[in-house]
Amino acid sequence: MISLAGRDILHHWAKYVFTGVGLGLLIGVTLSMAGIYRGMVDDAQVLMRGSGADIWVVQQETLGPYAEPSNLRDDVYRAIVGMPGVAEASNVTYLTMQIRQGERDVRVMAVGFEPGHPGEPPFLVAGRRIVRSHYEVVADVRTGFRLGERVRIRRHEYEVVGLTRRMVSSSGDPMVFLSLKDAQEAQFLKDNDAIVNERARTAANPALNRPGVPGLLDAILATQAASRSVNAVLVRVADGHDPERVADDIRRWKHLEAYTRAQMEEILVAKLIETSARQIATFLVILAIVSAAIVSFIIYTMTLGKVRELAVLKLIGTRNRTIAAMILQQSLGLGLIGFVMGKTVATLWAPYFPKYVLLLPGDAVRGLLATMVVCAVASLLAIRVALKVDPATAIGG
Amino acid sequence: MRRPMVRMVVLSILGLGLLAGFILLMVRSGPFAPVRVTMATVERGAFENAVFGVGTVEAERSYAIGPTVPGRVLAVHADVGSEVRAGQLLAEMDPVELDARLSASRAASARAVHALDAAQAQVRDAEVRQALAGRNARRYASLGEQAFFSDAAVEAKRQEADSAGAQLQAARAQLDAARMDVARLEAERVAVERQRANVRLVAPVAGVVTARDAEPGTTLVAGQTVLRMVDPASVRVRTRIDQGRAGGVRAGQAAAIVLRSRPGVSLPGRVSRVELNGDAVTEERIVQVVFDETLQDFAFGELAEVTIATTRGAEVLAVPGVAVHDRGGRRGVWTVADGAAAFVPVRTGETALDGRVAVLDGLQAGDRVVVHSERELEAGDRVSPTESLVPVQR
Amino acid sequence: MDMPAIEVRGLSKRYGEGDAAVDALKGVDMRIAPGEVVGLIGPSGSGKSTLLKCLGAVIEPTAGYMALGGRTAFDGGWKIRDLRSLRRDNIGFVFQAPYLIPFLDVTDNVALLPMLAGKSNREARRQAVELLEALDVGHRAKAAPSELSGGEQQRVAIARALVNRPPVVLADEPTAPLDSERALNVVRILNRMAEQYRTAIIVVTHDEKIIPTFRRLYRIRDGRTYEEAGEGRGV
Repeated sequence: MISLAGRDILHHWAKYVFTGVGLGLLIGVTLSMAGIYRGMVDDAQVLMRGSGADIWVVQQETLGPYAEPSNLRDDVYRAIVGMPGVAEASNVTYLTMQIRQGERDVRVMAVGFEPGHPGEPPFLVAGRRIVRSHYEVVADVRTGFRLGERVRIRRHEYEVVGLTRRMVSSSGDPMVFLSLKDAQEAQFLKDNDAIVNERARTAANPALNRPGVPGLLDAILATQAASRSVNAVLVRVADGHDPERVADDIRRWKHLEAYTRAQMEEILVAKLIETSARQIATFLVILAIVSAAIVSFIIYTMTLGKVRELAVLKLIGTRNRTIAAMILQQSLGLGLIGFVMGKTVATLWAPYFPKYVLLLPGDAVRGLLATMVVCAVASLLAIRVALKVDPATAIGG
Repeated sequence: MRRPMVRMVVLSILGLGLLAGFILLMVRSGPFAPVRVTMATVERGAFENAVFGVGTVEAERSYAIGPTVPGRVLAVHADVGSEVRAGQLLAEMDPVELDARLSASRAASARAVHALDAAQAQVRDAEVRQALAGRNARRYASLGEQAFFSDAAVEAKRQEADSAGAQLQAARAQLDAARMDVARLEAERVAVERQRANVRLVAPVAGVVTARDAEPGTTLVAGQTVLRMVDPASVRVRTRIDQGRAGGVRAGQAAAIVLRSRPGVSLPGRVSRVELNGDAVTEERIVQVVFDETLQDFAFGELAEVTIATTRGAEVLAVPGVAVHDRGGRRGVWTVADGAAAFVPVRTGETALDGRVAVLDGLQAGDRVVVHSERELEAGDRVSPTESLVPVQR
Repeated sequence: MDMPAIEVRGLSKRYGEGDAAVDALKGVDMRIAPGEVVGLIGPSGSGKSTLLKCLGAVIEPTAGYMALGGRTAFDGGWKIRDLRSLRRDNIGFVFQAPYLIPFLDVTDNVALLPMLAGKSNREARRQAVELLEALDVGHRAKAAPSELSGGEQQRVAIARALVNRPPVVLADEPTAPLDSERALNVVRILNRMAEQYRTAIIVVTHDEKIIPTFRRLYRIRDGRTYEEAGEGRGV
């Protein structure tokens, strides 16, 4: 037995291909949509993986450092590093800010880290790591910065010495890594005008600027300019210790909040991107319905155009099963063409999205199955019409 | 050849081509694609290490010039930036009643001198009287033995002589008192003069005035400054160096200093002192770096980037620092074996400022290591070495 | 006369119920031998179309008897439950227009029937090509139907009707759109095929050009058939 559906598709290949392209673009949008969701989840996970931490220690009663602001004194880590089960603890700062690059502003997350400790970008695609303790940055390629370029962050100019990839904040802003001290300055020091104004304000306060107490004003000004805070302490747990237990100890004895990887994932993935995820899920359902409607309509129209052939086929003894299978196969074939097309375009246009689009093979398989199911469902109407065709209509009169 | 056949063949080729393209696309991009990496060869070569720190331009010796007693500023003769000689009058405090006290003291002193003269004259008078009375007494005594005078008369003369002696004694004592008065008032006068001189604030050394903290009319307490000055010959950069990197820094090492005002101009210098006291809060050590040549155009408090050359080795095995990764507490590099990534543990030494890391153990010269990678590598990942991973800039 | 290819007795068909009932066929009798080509003529509304549909096992007669190739197909009810296989194995159809399946090539249009009957693709195609060659369209075996001329398409349609070697072929106005030369040519082919494959062919027509060619005619009028001797001029 020959494949009637296959022959029909080959005969009307142009029609199928064009319809398939249209459907494929729709499927491409659907896959991209799923990819955007995966990208968001991956952004969150990359943020965690990239930090290389097992435990995040943040200000008490906060969901920091990514979901909420958190401030710690920067000597807290010394107390933590001495606790049992802690292999490494290091300060980090996170600050979302805009960096001017020529004509445009680049929105970035500035990460202050201690070289050689958790928080450092785990791999680079170009350049080198930060070696000097000041005025060097490693930037994500998405910032558009080039190696050797000098960028101004607050009060200082920094040289871009390395480029990394896929290092983004949970909201997808590319990261810029700089040494902790520079980052502290950038985060907590004000701009020049603010500093000068603040000094004048302090000097004008007679209680602080007392004639009989030389040096008092200077001391006060110095404390005002000092920045001794970080946003979180990243902890790497020593081999053989349970991160949960270590985090418990930190919570209990240091009066700080400590999140393990699982908890942080819960905060980042479940809380932070929950609404976006629901939004995308709604969109996916709508796209599935639209795809189903389109396939259904196309197959239905094609079947109506074949009523006479179907009557002849029935007259010469073709079984209903064969005819239903033919229409189902046509529909699935259309779906397959559409899927291949969709997967191709989604893969091709994914890099041009401003945010990361992650196309997982598992999603592709699920997409294929969904397409097939949708196409099968969409063919039901056409099959119904085809089965109702009376073979007698082939005989004139 | 019949047309349907041709069409069939063309369609088949087209279809197969598309399918092949699709599969190729799936394999070349996305999760199945090999990870693109760049590689470098491990080489022996010169390894110059250096540490980097940020400092401020300061003077080693700076002077705060102010009065020793409370007072009001009368005049300030120097301005910020003035170059001054040692001993040059910089400012004066209002002497208030000092001048009057000085004249009083001087007058008192002069009067004391006159009093001394009077006392001396009295002594001389007393001496003359005493000598006369003595002679009279002796003459009466010898004449009395010869009974020219009565005993009473002789007695009276002798008493006269004794009295004159006592008067002389008194006059002498008065002279001593006058002398001491002179000394006291002179000392007082000197003291007041000293005090008067002290309201003149003079430069202790040759230098440059850096701040003018008080203006004429300001009342100051003891210890407040009127002017600050430094010795420009003692300019150096107080450099803060991260504790983690300060290990190799020694006095005498060469340093390159870049002032913020002159980026791109590297000034030669050298480490003059590594201070024993570090900063426990910022976790930095303080290193003093002096300029080889006297600095002409600079500002105190200016930020300077200092690079201190610490160690250098000739035939050191080194890899780019970015190639070194810590995995589960083990340090190593990625190499490629049969197209797959393999982790090779290494022992590393110092990190140079150009990013290279000295390899002590684990690699041979000529080994190829992965430098950059598109993502974090896992053992067994398929990799494909390329020239550069950075996309062409738009 | 040996066993008839088709035998019909008292076949009747009533549409509707009660007062609205219409008797389209009122007892039709036919008996056609293998290899015979007969004409079925009659004016519009005479029941010609209904008879054709009954003979083609597309609609169910109300009463009567019908045997195809010696097997009883209908006797007050269908004797073979599966009408599709009944049609497939016993009746070939030739329509007014060729009605070829546009997405199958000529060979497969013909070979589809033996394939549906369970033959292997190779065997079905072999039979199809053989028949196409017998009908002088073997050289177009790989062409698409749309690439054929009207006459070629009609010959392919005849091949399709014959390929399963049915005892009966029903030809519904096969010559209507053709000029007289081509119409006669079709009749010639039908005759040749009937002779060659021992198939009874019923040609429904009111084409005056070809009526004289039949040796025997059934004229249908008011739901009844009347057998007539044709001129039998042949072609």
